[in-house]
Amino acid sequence: MVYTASPELRRPRQFMVKAINDLRASGRIAWRLFRSNLRVRHRRTFLGYFWLLLPAIGTALICSYIQSRRIITIPATELPYPLFVLSGMILWQCFIDAINAPLQHLVAARQLITRSRVPHEAIILAGVMEVLVNAAVRVAILMLVVAFWVPLATTIVLIPLGVVALVLLGVAIGLALAPLGMLYDDVGRVITLVATFWFFLTPVVYPLPAQGLLHLNPVSPLLVASRAWLLGRWDMSAGFFIVLVGALVGLVIAWLWYRLARPHIVSRLG
Amino acid sequence: MDVAASGPSDRLKAPDAGDTALSVSNLSKKYCGNLKKALFYGLQDIAGEFRGRRAGPHRLRPGEFWALEDLSFEVKRGEALAVIGRNGAGKSTLLRVLCGLLKPDAGQVRIAGRTEAIIELGTGFNPLLTGRENIEVGASLHGLDPDATARLLEVVIDFAELAEFIDAPLMSYSSGMKARLAYSLAAHLGPDLLLVDEALAVGDLAFQHKCIRHMRQFVSGGGSLLLVSHNFQQVQTVCDRAILIERGHVAYEGDVAHTVSRMLEQRPLADANQLNDFASDGPVRMGGLSVRSGDGDGVRTGRPVEMPSRYEADLPTEVIWAFSIWSEDRWTCIGGAVDPVPRRIDAGRGTLRCIVPQFPLLAGRYIVRATILDASTRYPLAIENSRSRECHIDVRTDPDPVANMLIWTNQLVRLDAEWDAPQQAGTIGK
Repeated sequence: MVYTASPELRRPRQFMVKAINDLRASGRIAWRLFRSNLRVRHRRTFLGYFWLLLPAIGTALICSYIQSRRIITIPATELPYPLFVLSGMILWQCFIDAINAPLQHLVAARQLITRSRVPHEAIILAGVMEVLVNAAVRVAILMLVVAFWVPLATTIVLIPLGVVALVLLGVAIGLALAPLGMLYDDVGRVITLVATFWFFLTPVVYPLPAQGLLHLNPVSPLLVASRAWLLGRWDMSAGFFIVLVGALVGLVIAWLWYRLARPHIVSRLG
Repeated sequence: MDVAASGPSDRLKAPDAGDTALSVSNLSKKYCGNLKKALFYGLQDIAGEFRGRRAGPHRLRPGEFWALEDLSFEVKRGEALAVIGRNGAGKSTLLRVLCGLLKPDAGQVRIAGRTEAIIELGTGFNPLLTGRENIEVGASLHGLDPDATARLLEVVIDFAELAEFIDAPLMSYSSGMKARLAYSLAAHLGPDLLLVDEALAVGDLAFQHKCIRHMRQFVSGGGSLLLVSHNFQQVQTVCDRAILIERGHVAYEGDVAHTVSRMLEQRPLADANQLNDFASDGPVRMGGLSVRSGDGDGVRTGRPVEMPSRYEADLPTEVIWAFSIWSEDRWTCIGGAVDPVPRRIDAGRGTLRCIVPQFPLLAGRYIVRATILDASTRYPLAIENSRSRECHIDVRTDPDPVANMLIWTNQLVRLDAEWDAPQQAGTIGK
């Protein structure tokens, strides 16, 4: 083992071998971390898993009220409007959880990463596992609720793909921001702020208009497709695949970028 | 790169790989004292990493300082090296660079084989996981299969003596228990190089002994050890060689006794102060005391020391002269001597002189005060004790483990003693 001051990208092969080795070792560690996180997560909360649904239910109720009073006119939706909002919110939350996961988990593991050589990938992976479990719980409940109104079609088996695509996109963005976020707290706040704006530019509480800016939003095709599958409608645009592939490529780039930044972050975290 | 490096069993089989386990050459690491700047430099460094080059790695940016500068040393296989130095000297930074947590800013670290590190005790553990799970995580970090993990669990739990608590979350452990687990795990993962940072400071005495025994076995079995400790006893028991780090530099490198003694000498040697002005305005005045070694080599423990004290008298007087030695804080008088014979001095100037054949004080800085008393009344005629006139002496002790032990336990005086062999007086009946 040789540690030098020279930038790691000067030896790209060595850099990649190290990265892949760490990623391989991470699976098992992540699994252990994930299980322990899960075990302690709800220990100090009263509402427990109810928190997973609370934002979606709250938004659905408020939006339904606004819509029923005609404060804002929203075009007709296939699902009853409260359900439309609920489904949109649940999918949106999977995405937001995924954006926040890398930074949140890395910051929480600060002691661990500054004092031991645990691969950071394991910590991030454990966070992603948690996001996926939360997503599974939410989507399962959503399906149960929707089943009261619409008979569930076979297209619902595609929903996990939609959720995974949302999570991949979110993690790619979150991981790309993580190095800066670990240095500056501002980044965490910016994420929260931008997420709010982004929410209004995403067809969560209203259907996607036929054209316009919203079609450039990478979350739109994922969300629209997933909601369509919930209703048994076959809707898979090219946009979905473009975003999915883009998210995968972005994730790999974000991961390598994080690895380059890692020693410099660790030395500044103390 | 040698990621899946040899285990300890291969170590003995591969002598041709060179017998250097760790080689550090011209290692430098800089830090910034100002957090805002440090974060900004962090961004700069990350950008440099991305561009594949770093701007001026040898130059300090405003606010930066060298936490480690141009450090070079080696640890051979089967050798234990101690790293000593005061707080903030850069020892922990060094250790974190050696185990790959921090990237050097210049220079190179080359390690043959697998490294395990115990850094700031148990902080590498996850407090929410149980002891057992933490061991399992450690094992999975090293790619151990389930069988090997089960074996490791058994050995680690047994060595750490934590069988009762192993299924409790780590946050319920005392710091001593964490220390036991941390040491036990790192030591049994089969490293070629073991880095230990103050790990044993919080463990109980029995466990400390156990670790010391283990470290010695580990080293004699061909392992290499780098021990950072403030406990000089431990360091001298385990290591043969040591480096002393001062402000990021290797200030001294040598056998462990010399290095420890070098660190214990607080300040560089200065020969005794010379005072020329005559003090006090009585009939007898003191004109300066000096403390000199007999051989001109500085004041050393166990060697002869000469103390001449000049005086000025207005009248012929019968006097007794005495000196006392004080701790540097002037709180404690360690000892002194009084001339038992009254001496007659004539009007004019002269010198009183005494010799301490074997100077008993151990290394450190002391204050020597001299007094001239009236022989009949024992009333002080002249005292040299005003702060500006005190005579400071720096005592050096020739390094040996016994002297280091005395100094480390804050002893000030070394007494001569004759030691008898044990006398057996029967056996203990059962």
